[in-house]
Amino acid sequence: MKVQTASSLPDSTPKWSRHRYPESLYKHGTLLAILVFLGYSLHFLNVDIAKLLGALGRLIGVVADRYYPPDLEYVLDKGYLAAILDTLQMSFLGGFAGVCLAVPLAWFSAWNVTPNRRVLFSFGRLGVVSCRAIHETIWTILFVSVLGFGMLAGVSALTMFCIGFAGKLFSDEIEAIDMGPVEAMRAAGANPFQVFLFAVVPQVRVAFTGIAIYTWDVAFRAATVVGFFGGGGMGWYLKRNVQQLENLRVAAIILSIIVMVLIAEFISGYLRAAVNRAK
Amino acid sequence: MAVLTVKDLKVRYSAKGPEILKGIDFEVMGDDFLAIIGPSGAGKSTLIRCVNRLVEPTGGTINLLGEDVCALNPRQLRNLRRNVGMIFQEFNLINRMSVMDNVLSGRLGYTGTLRSVFRAFSQTDVNQALYYLDRVGLSDHINKRADELSGGQRQRVGIARALMQRPKLLLLDEPTSALDPKISREVMALIRDIALELNVPTLCNIHDVQLAKEFCNRIIGLQDGYKKFDGATETLRDADLEDIYAMEVL
Amino acid sequence: MASFDVNPEIVSQQSDLRRRRFLKMGLIWLVILAFIGWCVNGTIIEDTDWSRIGGRSGVLASIGRYFTLDLGLFSELIIPTLETFMMACVGTVLGCFFSLPVAWLGAANVTPSKSLLYPLGRFLMVLSRSVHEIVWALIFVSAVGLGALPGILAIAMRSVGFISKITAEAIENIDAKPVEAIRAVGGNQFQVLYYGILPQIYPVVLATVIFEWDINIRRSAVMGLVGAGGLGLLFFRQMNSFNYGGVSMVILAILMLIILGEVISHYLRKAVI
Repeated sequence: MKVQTASSLPDSTPKWSRHRYPESLYKHGTLLAILVFLGYSLHFLNVDIAKLLGALGRLIGVVADRYYPPDLEYVLDKGYLAAILDTLQMSFLGGFAGVCLAVPLAWFSAWNVTPNRRVLFSFGRLGVVSCRAIHETIWTILFVSVLGFGMLAGVSALTMFCIGFAGKLFSDEIEAIDMGPVEAMRAAGANPFQVFLFAVVPQVRVAFTGIAIYTWDVAFRAATVVGFFGGGGMGWYLKRNVQQLENLRVAAIILSIIVMVLIAEFISGYLRAAVNRAK
Repeated sequence: MAVLTVKDLKVRYSAKGPEILKGIDFEVMGDDFLAIIGPSGAGKSTLIRCVNRLVEPTGGTINLLGEDVCALNPRQLRNLRRNVGMIFQEFNLINRMSVMDNVLSGRLGYTGTLRSVFRAFSQTDVNQALYYLDRVGLSDHINKRADELSGGQRQRVGIARALMQRPKLLLLDEPTSALDPKISREVMALIRDIALELNVPTLCNIHDVQLAKEFCNRIIGLQDGYKKFDGATETLRDADLEDIYAMEVL
Repeated sequence: MASFDVNPEIVSQQSDLRRRRFLKMGLIWLVILAFIGWCVNGTIIEDTDWSRIGGRSGVLASIGRYFTLDLGLFSELIIPTLETFMMACVGTVLGCFFSLPVAWLGAANVTPSKSLLYPLGRFLMVLSRSVHEIVWALIFVSAVGLGALPGILAIAMRSVGFISKITAEAIENIDAKPVEAIRAVGGNQFQVLYYGILPQIYPVVLATVIFEWDINIRRSAVMGLVGAGGLGLLFFRQMNSFNYGGVSMVILAILMLIILGEVISHYLRKAVI
């Protein structure tokens, strides 16, 4: 039996190559373009590569030199502890208001069950996207300029942030429901709100609760910082001490922020797991 | 006087897509239990959903209970729909709610929005729900969650829900396709008995020709968007069936 | 329609059930509202200087100031927009580099030490997500000075959390069979990684990186508020000079940039998955 080896194959055999035109061109071209762009960016932004590479080292050096030991007495002081409570309360309020406002907006911006595909859909989408697009610190600055310094501005900013955050997650959840019950309710003559109450809400209730808890967690993270821009709470203390160059106190405050956020994250994770198990 | 008159019904889902229904005419009388049969893709589901405008027709007229369905504004449409009870292939129950609440939801077309929020249905509605639940044989399951029931039981909840609307027409979209043969027969018998009892005409999409011949008095055969047969059950011959199902490739 | 004959026992049982459910819901809402009321009191009512706000008309007037646009600022927007965009890109890429070792440590099936390095990896992921990007920026400004670099580093550090978490989860969910196959043909550690593990995780990881890049554009815009340049710095300056029309222009620029990012991210993620 004659075995065909590579050298004895006829010339008309199709050839295979790893690279196919034009897919390989697009892929490698994009990669090259990205690398060139990144290189140009580093140049445009005046990034000192040496500094970049040594950043971690410098960080540790600076921390050891100027920020250690952190002034823990300062953060255990009653005034600061009250600020921690304030931050918590702001996060609850902002989270609650944001989630409550996000539910109708998410309903409007869900293409499958929105009560009005022309006006309310666009309104819902625009609302959620605008709230999401503007960073919570910018919201804080804007609200401070209108409402003055303090927690009213902070809570308002957090509310806007939560509307954007929860609104997107809620509407994604609504768009993923089983449309069968929706069809049944519509066929029975229910109005759009009744369809939402009876066909949508029971399906998404559990997921929404989990999302609400997650939103609070993220809101608390943001709440620790809104004070830096005038929104009250722990961030306010941070700003004052940064301006006064009280580095040891700044270190303590940052540490307290990290600890509080970790606790909140832990509680939120536990609650969400409990919600998933219960329902 | 016909309960439902359909003339030259045409449906196309998208402007460039294929025409699903290509000009259907038929009538449903007050004492009919009408079956629509045909191969998959013939347009049966689309046809039945046009009757209560869950699907928008692109041409033709549908006259239901004296109203031109396509000319109604949303509010009028809702008022018309509450007179039409629909039973679905996949039951379309609200899984996390109790059987009782599912049945009560059939009255939503007649219940104000504020009452719906608190689920404060009237005592009459509650009594009616209990009566129908007993009629379909689910009295022992009233407080169970809908997803705790078997397929046949769920469909019976669907039947009770449709009856709560005190409908003047029943639409059935392949009500037994998701059920096994013995249960299918029970469910179809139940529906037929209740429809006769309450004198409600019924339009039924059905996959199983045997069931159609057993329970329905008239049959319409669809194929590829055309009506191929329209007559009393007795007049359906094997030649007609071959004609309707001709394109079906096993 | 005639009245229905129903068993009166069942009727009253149903009524009881409905009443109990109503009361339970009512109680839960009451507790929630009381809690919120306490929060409102502690934050807004005690803290707000109502006289300085100037009442409803004062607030409306303040809001109205933003509804003008300082179109002359347009030419000044271009460079900061570019800077913001670039910071987001470089920061995301840098974040990817940092994420790789962290993901490797935090994936239960490939971590070199389950008792020590795995918890460390997980902790680093949580830490990175828990520290707000502004706080990271402050930390790096004090380490490397002002300019774009602290912003880039802050974005990178903040992104590590999410990217490494998803990567670790993807690594933990891989199918062991291709890995086994590569080992069976005699591949070394690197080849196992490159041919066995990477092809399985790279679509998800790439999609996550694109997602995070989109979010980083939003973050990069505010890095300038603490000294990192870009649109944030311009926003800060316009605000300080009370040029509200200018502030609105900067916000519009940020919105445009974010919309661009969303569009690109949407199409890129489709192409990857």
